[in-house]
Amino acid sequence: MTTTSVLEQSAVPAGTERRFPAGIRLTWLHLRSRHVPGGILALAACGALLRATLYWHWTFNSGPYAQLVPMIIAAGAAALIAVTAHSPFGEVERASGRWLPYLRLFTAIALTGVAILALQSGAVGEHLNEGVLALARNVIGFTGLGLLCSLVTGGLLAWILPMGYMVFCEYALLQAWRAPWTWPVRPPADRGAWICASVIFAVGLLLLTVIGPRTQLSDDS
Amino acid sequence: MSAMSVALPRPARALRLELKRNAVPYLLPLLAAVFYFDTLRTAAGFPPIWTQRASVIPNHMLLEFSVFAGGMAAWAGSREGRRKTVDLVRTTSRAAWARLSVALAGTLCWLLLAFLAGVAVVYIQTALRATWGGPPLWPVFVGATGVVVVTVVGFAAGVFFPGRFTAPLVAIGVLVLNQIGFRAALGITAPGPTSVLPSPPTSAPYGLLSPATGAPLIDAGVYYHVAPDLAITQVIFMGGIAVALFGVLGLAVGLHELAWAGGRRRMRAAIARSDGWPYRAVAVLLVASGVAASWTGLALAGTAKLTATGGWEIPALHSAASDQSASAAQDCTSSPGFQVCVHPAFGFYLHHVATALDPLAAEIAGLPGAPVRATEVASVSGGNVVQSGIAGNPPVFEFTAERVGNLFGEFYGLPDPAAWASEFQQGLLEAFLAGPSQSASPAGTQLGAAQLAVADALLAAIGSQPMAPSNSGQSALKSGPATVAEMSAAARRFAALPASARHAWLAAHLTALRAGTITLTQIP
Repeated sequence: MTTTSVLEQSAVPAGTERRFPAGIRLTWLHLRSRHVPGGILALAACGALLRATLYWHWTFNSGPYAQLVPMIIAAGAAALIAVTAHSPFGEVERASGRWLPYLRLFTAIALTGVAILALQSGAVGEHLNEGVLALARNVIGFTGLGLLCSLVTGGLLAWILPMGYMVFCEYALLQAWRAPWTWPVRPPADRGAWICASVIFAVGLLLLTVIGPRTQLSDDS
Repeated sequence: MSAMSVALPRPARALRLELKRNAVPYLLPLLAAVFYFDTLRTAAGFPPIWTQRASVIPNHMLLEFSVFAGGMAAWAGSREGRRKTVDLVRTTSRAAWARLSVALAGTLCWLLLAFLAGVAVVYIQTALRATWGGPPLWPVFVGATGVVVVTVVGFAAGVFFPGRFTAPLVAIGVLVLNQIGFRAALGITAPGPTSVLPSPPTSAPYGLLSPATGAPLIDAGVYYHVAPDLAITQVIFMGGIAVALFGVLGLAVGLHELAWAGGRRRMRAAIARSDGWPYRAVAVLLVASGVAASWTGLALAGTAKLTATGGWEIPALHSAASDQSASAAQDCTSSPGFQVCVHPAFGFYLHHVATALDPLAAEIAGLPGAPVRATEVASVSGGNVVQSGIAGNPPVFEFTAERVGNLFGEFYGLPDPAAWASEFQQGLLEAFLAGPSQSASPAGTQLGAAQLAVADALLAAIGSQPMAPSNSGQSALKSGPATVAEMSAAARRFAALPASARHAWLAAHLTALRAGTITLTQIP
């Protein structure tokens, strides 16, 4: 055996000759490293749960309590999005990933869209108290909170803040609070609530893009 | 290590390490904030009655603890899988169950500690304002069992599905389950339009197993003891689930092996591994005991019956002692010719009630059927809702903590204290002017136009608000063609009379007024 065959061997590993464009491959690898496919499945499960609660009337049809279960599921969907912010590579990826901020931005926006779509699909044909607009607004706002939380706790524990705020909103809902910063309990046409939710989402998105979630190598998953 | 330090037993050392490294303490500030806004402020809005205030433990506190207990337990349970150390720790000499139990115990210790601290805050807040009774313990047991079962559920989910989505999914699942249970419970315990009593659990006995339910009657646990039957059933049911899942954790390694065992021979080998048999036997026993306990709880809930005092009785658990009335001498305050008495549990508003009723009692003192005393009675008696009214000889105005006249469900916490006092006065006047022949109905006493005019005049004479049409039951129906303007004019005329003249006219015409034969024009 000579070294000729070795030298002539392709640098591309076997089985990967048919390659996608680098951008798509990079995006796919980024999404896989964040368990985004699993996240989409979990969001679909949230949509299915919403449909089940509405179809089988597991929740109230009217009154303040009728808003609770959709709000819980919206907060849960946002928590799932926030959890996908976690990276298993940490510092290495940050040092070498030039496109990383854009990928983070893209992932968060895309998953928020998927969450809204999944929940709205779950509510199609059923009576949803306060309608799908309030649901979309809540997903946006809770996601912003989750992304902000990921800067402090890391992605894996970023579900804590959206869920905690949702529990507080239960109290605000029953006490009929009207402040715009209690946006999850406001009617869908409330402009102040939309502004608050959108600002939180925008700030969360911006900081996640620029800074990225806190990384803890000991919590690789 | 210093020579003075005391060596702890191995499990205690492991637990100490677990307590130090557990993530729950970092969560406590957020939990405290949610607890303050949701539980503490809600409790502060209730009257300082122990049963009322304690109802926030299963209704509010358990909800907020469930979110974090489920999620953080799933986080702790998924640690080995998340960090991909399952194979590494499997080679240790300790059984997997012992290892998992330490992690579970650490999480549970922190959560229960936080929960009990929260209970202490609620109870201290209540003790500072309550005038009678003591802290009920069954809501605490139910709440603590709820925290335990949610923690075990979350931990088991984390062990078996150690992914990044497990914790939030458990939190969502626990919350939605809580809401479903709450709705089922309200479906059973919701009062009807004319009753504050719940309906029997004919269709959905599982609703009774939900710790979250509606607020109890304001005087629940005041006149009669609250039977612990339902709380015991809930503890049995939830405790059974927790025990069964703990047993399943003991089988976790075996179940994993079975799940991955390929072929009959390897499966047989996985089952027949001799090293873990004692553990597995205990685990199977725990699963069986837990399932049996939960099933027993469910079966017991199906036998629940309403008691005459508005509570739930489960025959297999019921003690006749809990049906006895809780005896307590009433708190009373007297003014010349009139006495106001309330249960000592409601002693905090005795003087407010007396301040509201004394001037009115003085206006009608000495008239036929005028009460010499106002006394608070139980809101449920013999299975029926008690309405306010005047009864007995000498006449006594009886009211309940739930109802005074047409005031219902807003007995405490009205934003306007003057309106609250006015409702008491109107309740007394309606009962007095309607007379003993007209029994009070849930819809309110029906007064005629002349009676309304006289009532408004008497209220104006003591400087109180006149009766609004909505406050006088269906009086508009009885008032016939008389307009509001005519009634107001008659009321103004009568109020303008000297007190002695009003009293003399009432003494002469009260029987006719009660009979409805006096017209507005006949009022001086």
